[in-house]
Amino acid sequence: MMIDIAVVIPLVVAAFAGLFMRDNEHKAKYVALGGSVASLAIALAMLFNVLPGPPVQTFQWFTIANIAFNITTSTLPLNMLLLMIVAVMTPLVFIYSIGFMEIPSEQPRFYFEMCIFAAAMMLFAISYSFITMFIAWEMLGITSYLLIGFWYRKDNAPTAARKAITTILIGDILMLMGILLIGVVYHSFDFQVVLATPVQTASVVALLLILLGAFTKSAQFPFHEWLSDAMEGPTPVSAFLHSSTMVKAGVFLIALLLPLYESAGLLPLILAIGLISAIIGASNAITERHIKKILAYSTIEDLGLMFVALGLNALPAAMLLFFVQTFYKALLFFGAGSLMKANAEEEDIYKLCCSTKNKLVFYTTAIAAVSIAGIFPLSGFFGKGAVESAAMGNIAVYAMLLVVEFATSIYIFRWLFIPMRKSYDDSIITKLSYGAIPKSMTAPAVVLAGAVISASLLYQSVISYITPLGAAAQGSAPISLADAIIANVLALAGLCTAYYIYRLGHRRFIANPNKNLFAAMYNSTIVNAAYLRIVRSVGAVAAALSALDFAFDASIYALGTAFTKAGYLARRMVNGQVNSYALAFVVGFAALLFVVFVIGIA
Amino acid sequence: MANDNMIQIPFIALSIVLPLLGLTCLAYFQDYLGRRLALVFSGLSVICIIGALYISIASGTNFVAEQYSYYIPALSVLLNLRLDPISFALSLMAGIVAFVALLSGNTEQEHEKLAGSLILLFQASAMGLFAAGNLFLFFIFWDVGVVAMFFMLYMLGSANRRRAAMKFLLYELLASLFLLLAIMMIYFYTPLHSFDIQYIIQNSQLIPTGTQLLIFFFLFAAFLINMPVFPVHLWLPDAHTEASTQGSMLLSGALTKFGGYGMILTFFMLPMSSQFSVFIAILATFSAFYAAFVLMTVRDIKRIVAYTTIVEMSIILLAIASQNGLGIAGATFGMLAHGFTISLLFLAAGSTGHMFGERDIRVLRGVVKNAFETAYTFLTGVFATTGVPLTAAFIGDVLIFMGALQAFSLFGIIPLIALLLTGTYLYYVINKSFLSTKEVTQNINYIGASQRAGYLLLIACIFFFGIAPFIILNLFNV
Repeated sequence: MMIDIAVVIPLVVAAFAGLFMRDNEHKAKYVALGGSVASLAIALAMLFNVLPGPPVQTFQWFTIANIAFNITTSTLPLNMLLLMIVAVMTPLVFIYSIGFMEIPSEQPRFYFEMCIFAAAMMLFAISYSFITMFIAWEMLGITSYLLIGFWYRKDNAPTAARKAITTILIGDILMLMGILLIGVVYHSFDFQVVLATPVQTASVVALLLILLGAFTKSAQFPFHEWLSDAMEGPTPVSAFLHSSTMVKAGVFLIALLLPLYESAGLLPLILAIGLISAIIGASNAITERHIKKILAYSTIEDLGLMFVALGLNALPAAMLLFFVQTFYKALLFFGAGSLMKANAEEEDIYKLCCSTKNKLVFYTTAIAAVSIAGIFPLSGFFGKGAVESAAMGNIAVYAMLLVVEFATSIYIFRWLFIPMRKSYDDSIITKLSYGAIPKSMTAPAVVLAGAVISASLLYQSVISYITPLGAAAQGSAPISLADAIIANVLALAGLCTAYYIYRLGHRRFIANPNKNLFAAMYNSTIVNAAYLRIVRSVGAVAAALSALDFAFDASIYALGTAFTKAGYLARRMVNGQVNSYALAFVVGFAALLFVVFVIGIA
Repeated sequence: MANDNMIQIPFIALSIVLPLLGLTCLAYFQDYLGRRLALVFSGLSVICIIGALYISIASGTNFVAEQYSYYIPALSVLLNLRLDPISFALSLMAGIVAFVALLSGNTEQEHEKLAGSLILLFQASAMGLFAAGNLFLFFIFWDVGVVAMFFMLYMLGSANRRRAAMKFLLYELLASLFLLLAIMMIYFYTPLHSFDIQYIIQNSQLIPTGTQLLIFFFLFAAFLINMPVFPVHLWLPDAHTEASTQGSMLLSGALTKFGGYGMILTFFMLPMSSQFSVFIAILATFSAFYAAFVLMTVRDIKRIVAYTTIVEMSIILLAIASQNGLGIAGATFGMLAHGFTISLLFLAAGSTGHMFGERDIRVLRGVVKNAFETAYTFLTGVFATTGVPLTAAFIGDVLIFMGALQAFSLFGIIPLIALLLTGTYLYYVINKSFLSTKEVTQNINYIGASQRAGYLLLIACIFFFGIAPFIILNLFNV
């Protein structure tokens, strides 16, 4: 039976329990936290094999036309990796939210949506059939939509939520198409069955559709633009959904099915899209000014790098980056949230100031920045180094990765240095509240900073934990010394460049940016214009068909009117004059005689 | 095993008679008592269907049949009633929808007696239609349902209701005419001159091929009008725009299923109809896209929801055309899911219109601020429409499109894109009018506990059948 599904139950219970706490709304957060800790405990029990049962468990949901719809879960290493990431992140984010979400009236709704999200994410992590996976997948999309639009009172939140759900819906429909095709081709939805069966032509189409679905969820080109708008949501949401867990669902799914993609020959596509997305993400991150959107573009870049590793069939490298990225990216968002709170919700990095005032926030954020830049010995170095080393066989790809690495270092230190500047404007300084950042917001950041540092110690154990599964992978993720040196030099060069320009204030390099270059680097406007063009063309078709619909209705109405008109014409004959009736009678009788005698005889 | 005592209870006949008893009570007793008795009888009718379902599950068969004396001996018309897996699902759905409409659809609390009695009449006709064992009863219940619905549209609703009701009646009369012609032809051309559906299913090949063709076209036309699918869909948006909330709930929730059920029966009765399945599938696909695109230019919430009905019913026609086990189960489950979903959407849309005096999404703002239950209910309805897992529509969509894939290969899943277009526009509506607070529209009226109960009941049904679809689907495996 389904013992593993127990991991989501505390969160679901907590979600509904919190929702009905109308009278004491402030307690919803503790209920949610309790649920998440209970889930973490169960996840740990699963990790150390305390729970009985085989690693893959199946429960038959229903059967129709000899196709079984199964709820299948698994505790295989890859699944456990994601499950542990989610289980550890959930309580941390909930603790952070205690300090961040101040308004009591909106807390039950917030924790309800967050708990359902966390439960769906855990279900996704342990799912091992397409049906289970898709249930969790859609729940992720919906909770993401609700949480992006959480503050619907804000001007842009409803629009951002709509953009996200539209992209997600496209992905969901493509994904559903792929899954149904899999079901028809394989007569099963279970991953074991599908992974064990050789790839056919029909399943290549299905795999392509699923890949496109994964790209929308993981914000890859050309579906990436929703992620930067998703930053309209509260910061805990950005730290949890839109950087460390949900957006990685697509990467995870492709990683699980990687052997299929390899035999279907779709790896070059994954590699190309990953590279394009990484470059787009890095270039936008350099030019963006919104504190959270920079991180969002950085997430697009990270996810692109993971897809690059998958495209190179380097599963351990991809999963290593997958693992370490969680901590530094969530930590960066925690720092961003704290900074914004201390600066009266200011979001422009050029208007934030004095970020060094709260040492705890600043140093934890700096650790994360050093880590994402890929500087030894923090964990980011190992993740990125593994991906780059895997790419060393392909010079073009490797060169592009190095450019991205250099750009990462520049934008993340730009992000770090600009808010460090002091302000001499009293009206701004009086609004600063660095001292008021609650402990519940700094404590999870400290824990994460510890994780960012110590994750590098886990480098070998993570690799050896996941490799037994990776039949298609090389078995390890070596980091070549040459790459380590090159990458670190580039990262430090980026650090120095950023320090020179943004910290020392030598802004003449960027004071008069080349317009074309800027447009090429800050291309989110172009992408948005392209989206708008698609929407407009759909609207044009809709307008045309709508006009047709009206015309159609009008023509049927006209037909009815024509009958009425004919009736009026016929009525004229009934004029009440006996002589005209008599005439008609005579004419009719003559016609009848004619028919009977002349035509009838002939 | 079911004990013998239970089989004696004529559940199906009761499910038809009880709403009529409720109708009598409503007419005879004072307002308060009458309304409650009507609700009780309407609910008992649903419980009778559940009882019949229990009997069939307990006895290991997938149908329950009841037979009474001859209705018209000269024509050998029996009073025989039969619930098979398809009609179990549909009559259960229709009963619940009618019950909820009676309970909570009348937000304005106007003409409660008239509306209530028409709903009960309609419920009796729906129960009878889905349980009808012969085409004679089928036709009688069909017309009773249409007439009840006509009066509902004609007497209750907004200012232009009369014109919309006449339009509805003209289309439906055309459908009835085709249906009557087809039924008479079947009667005269079957060897034993029978109306019995089971007999026709077994012996339809004895009808001359040319006549079969003609019968098929008549039946197809009749049910196409009722479903409705392009090009005979035009009555539906107008009827919904002018109808009362209760009328809309029953119209899309239950009446359009008459056509869907009839279409399934047509394919069962006339096996030769499967030679047209590709053309029907093309028509269904076009209709789904057509409605999805026209939907995007509509501004009235109820009209928007009305167009989603056309999209969904086109997809159900696709499932029926795919003619395999998955397709039929999918069409049945899709109709069940759609009945609940669309009634929920119409209930929420109607309540919104009643509360704010406005249904135009260009004007309506910030529903969530002043009426969060209604806003989130509408959102749940949108989730259910777009086929989010754990809602019943997801199961329906999965089965429908797997059946379509089997029958028409990759072309079969193209209508999912129409569903996508519908979904995007519905989310646009949500974020424009419901989940936004700019320039809040002020409440005029508030909804009562009965509306909340209706929301909860329909949402519970949507999730219940989404989580436990095997209750219905296992019947198809027997």
